Amino acid sequence: MELLDRYLQAVRKYLPLRRQDDIIAELRANMESQIEDRESEVGRPLTQGEFDDFLRKMGHPMVVASRYQPQQYLIGPTIFPMYLYVLRIALLWVFVICMIVAAVVTPLTPPGAQSVFDALLRIPGILIQTAAWITLVFAAFDFARTRYPSVGSQIEGVNKNWSPSSLPPLTKDATRAGKGRSFAQAVIEIVFSALFLVWLLLIPKHPFLMLGPGVAYLQSAPYQLSPAWWSFFWCVVALNVIQIVWKSIDLVRGQWQSSGPMQQILFKVFGLVPITVLLTAPDHNYISLKNPAVDAAHYGQNLSQINNGIHLAFSVICAIVVLQLSFDLAKWIWEHYRNRIAAG
Amino acid sequence: MTVAETTFENLRLELRRGCLTLAVLAQLKQEHYGYTLRKELAEHGLEIDESTLYPLLRRLETQGLLASEWREEDKRNKRFYRLSTDGEQILARLLDEWNAINSSVSRILDAPNAEIK
Repeated sequence: MELLDRYLQAVRKYLPLRRQDDIIAELRANMESQIEDRESEVGRPLTQGEFDDFLRKMGHPMVVASRYQPQQYLIGPTIFPMYLYVLRIALLWVFVICMIVAAVVTPLTPPGAQSVFDALLRIPGILIQTAAWITLVFAAFDFARTRYPSVGSQIEGVNKNWSPSSLPPLTKDATRAGKGRSFAQAVIEIVFSALFLVWLLLIPKHPFLMLGPGVAYLQSAPYQLSPAWWSFFWCVVALNVIQIVWKSIDLVRGQWQSSGPMQQILFKVFGLVPITVLLTAPDHNYISLKNPAVDAAHYGQNLSQINNGIHLAFSVICAIVVLQLSFDLAKWIWEHYRNRIAAG
Repeated sequence: MTVAETTFENLRLELRRGCLTLAVLAQLKQEHYGYTLRKELAEHGLEIDESTLYPLLRRLETQGLLASEWREEDKRNKRFYRLSTDGEQILARLLDEWNAINSSVSRILDAPNAEIK
């Protein structure tokens, strides 16, 4: 019987504290009755091997004890989809915020790869902390909900008296599903893209087309645009030309109904080129003085602040575009994978 | 164990879970303690593991369907269970449900276009 005591002691370790004595006493009575029955069947005490088999058949102490636990999971199936949804959204937003903060803070810290590296290294820790807190909150909520059903009975997904009219409206994607672009829409898009290109090309000779009356102010100001803007300008022009050519080819080939996800991703990649050109401008020099010898003492400090501000703004824009691109790319890979699975 | 066998085993356990509760409630119209209840069920063709039955009894008692008391029998303290008043009502309703499901499944299987016999 020593083995039985050892077995029950092992079971006790995993039982809820409040009911340990009661459950163990009942389990002991049942098991002893069963052993007695066996022994009277065979007409002798059970051998060590038979006793081992009997306990093995009862199950591992942890498994036996687990059956007495009221809740076998941290987050139950009822609210698990809600948990997964919140977790996904929260992690995405935390990641976006981390990236934006990193993009804003990095230019303000001493230059060097170390500050960028430090900012990136902090992100996994923050994501894990966010996931841990969300899991903890949902586990606590589920614990309360299972013990006190009135708790959270009005929460969406848990409330049985939900109204179908409270369902969210169709998303833009779902509304569009199956409805491609018409031929006229595709032609109008190309015409407007071409008009935009013409407008863009006219700006260097006629800057009032973009700045309006501000041109007069710019001409009288002590500042001028640095050559980096010319590189940026021609990159934007090239990007527009590529888009017009691509869309025209689609039109000629009869594929105007919708631009594929890969095409949209490529346009976003191309869109990074002009931004990168600006971000890599030597000494972040975007605005310079027309007469440095005369104006440097008066406007020098302002000039440095303006250039830093422009660099910061384009860093943030770059971070946002990279995030959008990563999101689109992940979505495309996921769709691709899902279609492959569906196709068997 | 193959995937098909695992799937079957999971479905079998799912199917048995509700039936076992029904059988235990029905058997406890007469008072029993854990071990004798298990023997009675086995004699009626329903084998059930100790590690499933004993916690199930606790759960049903917590839900108010069973009543229990500690009593000495054969020089040993044992916990005896029997159906409570609430348990009797729930058992009657569950039996109605069980019979309705049984009849429906039988009708589906007996239908002219049923392929599984």
